[in-house]
Amino acid sequence: MHLILVGISHRTAPVDLRERLDFQAQGVELALRALIGHGAAREAVVLSTCNRAEIYAACEEVGAARDALVHFIAQFHGIDQAAILPHVYTLADLDAARHLFRVAAGLDSLVVGEPQILGQVKDAHAAAGRAQAAGPVLNRLFHSSFGVGKRVRTETGLGAGAVSIGFAAAALAKKIFGDLTGRSVLVVGAGEMGKLTAQHMKSQGVHRVTIVSRTMAHAARTAEAIGAAAAAPWEELDAALGAADIVITATGAATPILTKGHIESVMRSRRNRPLFVIDIALPRDVEPAAGEIEQVFLYNIDDLQATVNENLARRASEVQRAELIVADEVARFGAWFRSRGVIPTVVALRQHAEQIRRSELERLQFKLSALPPEARARVDEITRLIVEKLLLTPTEQLKSLGDPDTINVYTEAVTRLFGLAQSTNDDAGEPAADDSPKVEPFRTPSGPLDRRKTGRR
Amino acid sequence: MNAVPLVFYAAALAAYWWHFSRRQPAAGRAATTLLVFGALAHTFVIGMQTMEIGHVPIVNASSFVSTLVWLLALAYLYTEMTTGERAMGAFILPLLVALLAIAVFKPGVDESLPVLQGPLFSVHVLSLIVAYASFGLACMIGITYVLLFKEIKAKQLGFFYARLPSLQVLDTMNQQTIILGWAFLTLGIIVGFIWTPQARAYGDPRVQAMSLEDPKIFVALVCWAVYSFEALLARRIGWGGRRAAYLSALGFAIVLLNFVPISYFLTRSHNF
Repeated sequence: MHLILVGISHRTAPVDLRERLDFQAQGVELALRALIGHGAAREAVVLSTCNRAEIYAACEEVGAARDALVHFIAQFHGIDQAAILPHVYTLADLDAARHLFRVAAGLDSLVVGEPQILGQVKDAHAAAGRAQAAGPVLNRLFHSSFGVGKRVRTETGLGAGAVSIGFAAAALAKKIFGDLTGRSVLVVGAGEMGKLTAQHMKSQGVHRVTIVSRTMAHAARTAEAIGAAAAAPWEELDAALGAADIVITATGAATPILTKGHIESVMRSRRNRPLFVIDIALPRDVEPAAGEIEQVFLYNIDDLQATVNENLARRASEVQRAELIVADEVARFGAWFRSRGVIPTVVALRQHAEQIRRSELERLQFKLSALPPEARARVDEITRLIVEKLLLTPTEQLKSLGDPDTINVYTEAVTRLFGLAQSTNDDAGEPAADDSPKVEPFRTPSGPLDRRKTGRR
Repeated sequence: MNAVPLVFYAAALAAYWWHFSRRQPAAGRAATTLLVFGALAHTFVIGMQTMEIGHVPIVNASSFVSTLVWLLALAYLYTEMTTGERAMGAFILPLLVALLAIAVFKPGVDESLPVLQGPLFSVHVLSLIVAYASFGLACMIGITYVLLFKEIKAKQLGFFYARLPSLQVLDTMNQQTIILGWAFLTLGIIVGFIWTPQARAYGDPRVQAMSLEDPKIFVALVCWAVYSFEALLARRIGWGGRRAAYLSALGFAIVLLNFVPISYFLTRSHNF
């Protein structure tokens, strides 16, 4: 059993191709059912976001599975294989696991450390569960990846700090006012930047947004675009300043429209309640000296950009620690994954021993029947314990084996020494097995999926 | 006796600082656990002393300080559990450790004096303990407010920005603790004034020395003036936020002055 990942991401494919390969459009579950029905993989999970389309699968043979998956992607989206092949990456086994762990940690994201991806990974796994496409290998892999995401979030600062102007402004507002619900925002100017920042504040829960512009019609139109916002004429600017907690200035004026003296007089009327002024206009709308006023917090777009840059730098410095966590978890997953190679042999060995025990007990049946029932139970118990103890060390040793070559040597030796019949049933009898019902052995689909045509590499 | 809780508080202080600088959840849990053990040990010490002398140990300056620290520890634990905010611990614990260290290195035992029996005296002292504990909290909250305020104002979003709750939360907490403390301070002073004439009958020289010229009483009234301004007037004239925070620190500096040098060395009236 191998793990394979076939996919494209923002690192390898342009946005128009990513859009065309978006599985969300037609439904991930539909894709998964088609994929499993197609026989391209035994287990599969499709992770599809605006920045990536990846298929994680469990298969018997990596090369064949790769060709089958590439073919499936092309067929499913109705695109020529040649158009996607240059952008596709394929990773196998622990490399695929490492990739997924890095994705879940936010290390592979466009904005490093962004928090949405972990939820998207969880959704992808849940969809595979609903489509009955996930099996023991991918379940284990994805659960491990959730753990990686969580560890990276709590143990490193990879996701800390706002990395866009809007988020930085909202984060600052929260650090000044606490909860933003019940706060009111005044936007001075009816331009696009002011509108976007106000919309962001609104999504953070502010109570009221008011737009003031020199042209009342512009203010009204912007208010309508934001939704549930009020427009006020320019003459009411002072009253609006008195009522607001957060002021966003974004006019195209050539000289400052809010001077220090102006804001000072407003602050007197509001008894020095804190005022957070965000000046995103160029040239400046607010006289920089206004920032000296007690309880006025003045930030212009450069200040916000500086905090964004600092946060980005801080995230970058956390990448190393996150990578260590990923490596740690890959090693842990790897130990489990590799031990799966010996499981059929372990199961066969145990079945063999149990069979001997039972046949011996049956052979002695006529002697044992003379014993009282408790004594017979004891005999059964003792023989079982002897078998258990004899097999304990060999089982542990086999499960702890590392590289595939050693595993082959050992399984071969055990099979010969004990005269084991080659087991075909992968996980039967394994206590921790949460295997899905046995699936058809993997076949490379014939016809258009022929290796020569897809060009194996 | 106070040495055991002091050791716990000191260990908790180290853990709170570790938690504050490294932000490891495990360090935070360890800090809270140590503080809880310290408070339990302290409760035991105070309980033993109460059994021994028949009332809460509040008469002697050292036992008063010890009881104050105990109350501060409980008040802080309460705020931590209700807000889930551990950052303030790094600021409160130094105060606890310093005050309790004084009580440990200059121990005193409460005597059972007939003049000090009776409900009025107990109300007087207990109100003042609650008041001073509140002012201690307010002072620490005020200091953290100023630290965060300076970072935001200077656009240097760093250490405190990442760790402290919002300015608004700190300001509200400051205001509430000041109002609570002021109410108890007022009550304590009024009860003291009512009690003094009654107590003069016992002829104790320390009670005879109760007058406005006694440094302890004078400074207490200065305190009351400062806190009255902060609790009742400051915000109405726009002295919220940073100015209120400075006032809290100033007020508590006066409280500490009254507590340590004046209580131990200068007063002729309040040295029971």
